[in-house]
Amino acid sequence: MSDVQNKPGGGRIEGGIDAIVIGADAEGLTAAAYLGRAGYNTILLEAGVEIGGAVCARELSPGQNYVDGEHLISILDPAVIADLDLYRHGVSYAARCLDTAYFFEDGETLQLGGDLQMAAAAFDDEEAGPAFQKFIAEVFEAAAFCRPAFEAAAAPESDIEKVMRAAPRNLAARLNFFSLAPAQEVLDAYLPDGPLKTALLCEAGFRSAAAPHEPFSFMTLVRRWAGEVAGLQGACAYPQGGAVAVVTALRRAAQAAKVDIRAATGVASILIEQDHAAGVELEGGGQIRAPIIVAAGSARRVFMEMIGAATIDIGFQRAITAASPQLASGHLHLALKGVARDEKTRGHMSRRLVYAPPREALRRAFADARAGRVPSDLMIEAVFPDVLDEEIGGDGMQLLSAIAHPLPFDEAPDADRRAEIETAILANIEKFAPDIEDRIKARALRLASDIAQSTSAPAQDYAAPSSIIEQVALARVAGSAGYVSGLYFCGREARIGAGLSCAAGRMAAKAALFEVKRGGRAA
Amino acid sequence: MIFPAEDVIVDSPRATPLYAAAASASEANIWTSVNGWSLARVFTSVEKEYHAAKNSAAIADLGALSRWAVRGREAAQFLSRITTAPAPRLGVGESACGLILDGDGGVLDLAEVSRLSDDLFLLTTPTSHARRLQLGARGVDALGEDICEAVAAIGVFGPRASEVLSAAGMKMPGEDVAASAVVRGVETAARPIQFGALPGVELIFPAADALTIWERLVRRGKAGPIGLDAMETLRIESGAPRPGVDFVAADHPGTTMRRTPAEIGLPHLAPLDRGWYNGRRGLRYVASRPERRLVTLSVDDERSMPGAAVFAGGKPVGRVTSCAWSPAIKRVVAFADVARPVGAKDYEIAVPAPGEGRVAAKLYETPESALAKAFREAQDAVSDRR
Repeated sequence: MSDVQNKPGGGRIEGGIDAIVIGADAEGLTAAAYLGRAGYNTILLEAGVEIGGAVCARELSPGQNYVDGEHLISILDPAVIADLDLYRHGVSYAARCLDTAYFFEDGETLQLGGDLQMAAAAFDDEEAGPAFQKFIAEVFEAAAFCRPAFEAAAAPESDIEKVMRAAPRNLAARLNFFSLAPAQEVLDAYLPDGPLKTALLCEAGFRSAAAPHEPFSFMTLVRRWAGEVAGLQGACAYPQGGAVAVVTALRRAAQAAKVDIRAATGVASILIEQDHAAGVELEGGGQIRAPIIVAAGSARRVFMEMIGAATIDIGFQRAITAASPQLASGHLHLALKGVARDEKTRGHMSRRLVYAPPREALRRAFADARAGRVPSDLMIEAVFPDVLDEEIGGDGMQLLSAIAHPLPFDEAPDADRRAEIETAILANIEKFAPDIEDRIKARALRLASDIAQSTSAPAQDYAAPSSIIEQVALARVAGSAGYVSGLYFCGREARIGAGLSCAAGRMAAKAALFEVKRGGRAA
Repeated sequence: MIFPAEDVIVDSPRATPLYAAAASASEANIWTSVNGWSLARVFTSVEKEYHAAKNSAAIADLGALSRWAVRGREAAQFLSRITTAPAPRLGVGESACGLILDGDGGVLDLAEVSRLSDDLFLLTTPTSHARRLQLGARGVDALGEDICEAVAAIGVFGPRASEVLSAAGMKMPGEDVAASAVVRGVETAARPIQFGALPGVELIFPAADALTIWERLVRRGKAGPIGLDAMETLRIESGAPRPGVDFVAADHPGTTMRRTPAEIGLPHLAPLDRGWYNGRRGLRYVASRPERRLVTLSVDDERSMPGAAVFAGGKPVGRVTSCAWSPAIKRVVAFADVARPVGAKDYEIAVPAPGEGRVAAKLYETPESALAKAFREAQDAVSDRR
C-alpha cells in the first residue's frame, strides 16, 4: 500500500514504494516481476496504453491478427522462464525446435534440422559433413562459454574480456578468432564452398549491422547459438500464440508478484538526490518516490531527457548518443488467399524458411543499404504462423510473417520508399514462394519507424544492432546507469543480440536486489 | 597553473607571441617544446632564476597553456560539467582551481576557472581538451572559444609581484580578484594565480601587443624571466603534481596509471559534497579506496632520477616520477608514486648506476600535501558521523 501526500505545487507525492520500473516492454516486465517476487512494493509505469512494447498482436485483416516485433524465439533467457515460472503463466511452445529450409539463388535448397548438433551428425556430404560437425561442436562450445557475457554487461561476471581470459588455452585462441574475424573468414576456415556455407554466412549477417565480410561479424552467430530456447542450444521456437504469449506470461508473472502496472503514465524526469535515484516526476504532475528505479526505455530518453544532459557524464553521454544507425530490418506480414490442406505441403510450411543470397550479393546488399538504397537481394526469414500454431489461423487465409535484412534505416520513410521496400521484400520471397503476390489479400509492412511510433520510442531503438562486440561495450557503459546509485538500466543499449531475450531485465533487477542486500540502498 | 609534460617529439614547435622577447633574453639558449610551443628552459641559470622568483619577482611566458573563453547563459553549468571547479559559485573577478575528471573519477587534467562577467568565463588547462569541450556543450547553452592563438599571457611570480605590476602601470584591486586595465593602450586582464606556493598574477592581453607588455615589465618593473627548469624546482617544492609527468591522464591510450584526485594528492579539488561535476558519481565509488599515493620526498643524494625505484621497509613500493635539486633545502626534492597502504615516512630510493645501492629519502611536507591531509581528515570525520 502506498502513502499519498499532497505536494505543495498541487500534484501528488506517492511514497511507500520500494521500486519503480519505467517502460513495460518485455525487459521492464521481467525486471518488475523479479522485484515483485522479492517482496518489493513495485510500480511499473508505461507511457503508452499498450503493455508489452514492440511485441504485441495487431490486426492484419478482419479476424486475422499478426504478432508485431518478433515472430520466433531464439535467445529468450531460460533463467527468466524458470525463475518467473513462465510455463505456469501460459508459455508453451507450438513448435519447440524448428527445422530450417534454406533457398538459394540458383534454385538449390538445403534443409537443416532444428537440433543443429544432430543435423551436423546426419549431414549427408562426405566432405562437408565432418567439417560441419567440427564447426558446430566448436562454435557451440564457444557460444556456451560466452553466455554470461551476453546476458547483460551490468554484471561484473559478464565482462567479455574476463570471460575470455578464464577460457582454457585452446578455447581462448578460438574465442579470439571468433570474436575478431569476419564471419566469412571463420566459415572459410572450417567449411568447403557450397550451399551450407552460404546458408551460415546469411545467418551470421541476419539482423545485424555488421556485414558477414566485416570484422567482429561472426559473433552475431555465436550470440544466437548461445541461446537455449526450449532446452536446446541454438534452436528456434514458436510459442503458442506467438511471441506475444511470452509477453502476456511476463505480465501475468508481474501481476502475480503484486506489481502495480500503470499504463498511460509517462515519466517526465527521474529525481536524483545526492547522486541517488529518489523517484520519478510524472508527465501529468506529481511524484512517486522510491529508492530503486529500473529504466527499460531508450538510453537517450532515460538519460538525456529524464535526467538531463547537464548532469550526466560527458563520456557516458557520448557513448549512448555516438552512433547513428544505418541499417534496419523490415517485417512484412501477409494474409494469403487459400489454405494448404495436404500434410506434405503443411510439413514444408512448418519450417523456418530462409532465403540466402550468394556471398557477393550479400556484400552488395549491405553496401547499398548503408548508402541509403534498397538492395535488390535481401536475406529473408519467413514462417507461416498459422501452420505452426493452428489456433491462430482461420477465415480461409494463410498467414506469412517475414523479416528482411539488410534495409536502409529511415527515420520517417515516405510512401514511395515504403513501396520500394515492400516490392524488394516480395521479390525475394517470390524466390522461394513463386506467384505469392497474386494470393495476397492483406499486408502490413512494419519498419523500424512504425514500431517506434507504436511504442513512442525513437526509431533508432529499432534499427539493426551493431556488432556484438560493440553491443557488449555499449551495454557495459549503459549498464552502469551513469553511476547513479539506485538507478538500473535494461533498455535497448543494455541488450546484446537481436530478438526477445529478457536477460537485461533480469540482470537489472538482480543488480538492484544485490545492491540492497549489500546495504547500498535500503528498500 | 602547471605546465604539462614536455613534448617528446615535435617537428617544428610554434613560436609563442613572446618568443622574440624570450629569445633575446635567453643567454643559455636552451629550449624545449610544450603543447607544440617553444619555451625556454633556462634564461641565465636555474639557481639565479629560482632565487629571483623566491625572493623578488620573475616573469614567465605562459603562452603554451590552453585557454578558452566560455560564454553563454549556462556557461557556469557547462564549466561545472567539464571541471570540478565551483564555477556557479564564483563572483565576477574570482578564480578557482579544479580538476578535469573522466566518468569513472579518473584525473584527466588540472583546470583553472575565472569569472570575467556574468556569462563570460576563462578556462585555463595545461593541455587542450577541445573534443571534450565540444562534447560537453551538447544540450547546454554555452559556447567555448579557443583563444590560445589570439592572446599572450605572462605570469609574474614572487613576493614582489605586485610591486612589479605597479611599476609597470597596473594596479590590482585586491589580492584575490581579477582586474582589467589599459597599459600603454593595450587592454590587459590580470588575475591572481598561484605557482606552487608562490603568489603571482597572470596578465592576459592581445597577442599582437605581447612584446610591449613584456618590455614594460622588464624595464619598469625590473623583473627577470624564469625558465621551465627553475619553475620545475618551485613546483616540486610546493607539492604540485605535473600532468603527464607525475600522473598520466586517465584517458591516455593504454595507460595503467589511472589516478583519482586523492591518489595525486588533490582530493580537496574534487570534494564529493560539491555540486554536480563530471565524474563525481564515478568518484564516489572509488574515492574511498585509493590504491596509490603521490608523495613529495627530500632525498639524500644528487643522483636520483625519474623512474628510480622507491623502497619502504626494504620492499619496492613505487617509483620516482619527477625530481629536481632544491637550492633552498640543499637537497633533491622528488615526487614519488607509491602504494597506498604504506604509511611510511622514511623511504629509500635506488640510485641509477649499477651496484650503487639505495639512498635515504624522507617525506617532505608541502602546503599542498598538508591541505590534502587536512581535507581527508575532515571528509573522514564527516563520513564517520554519517
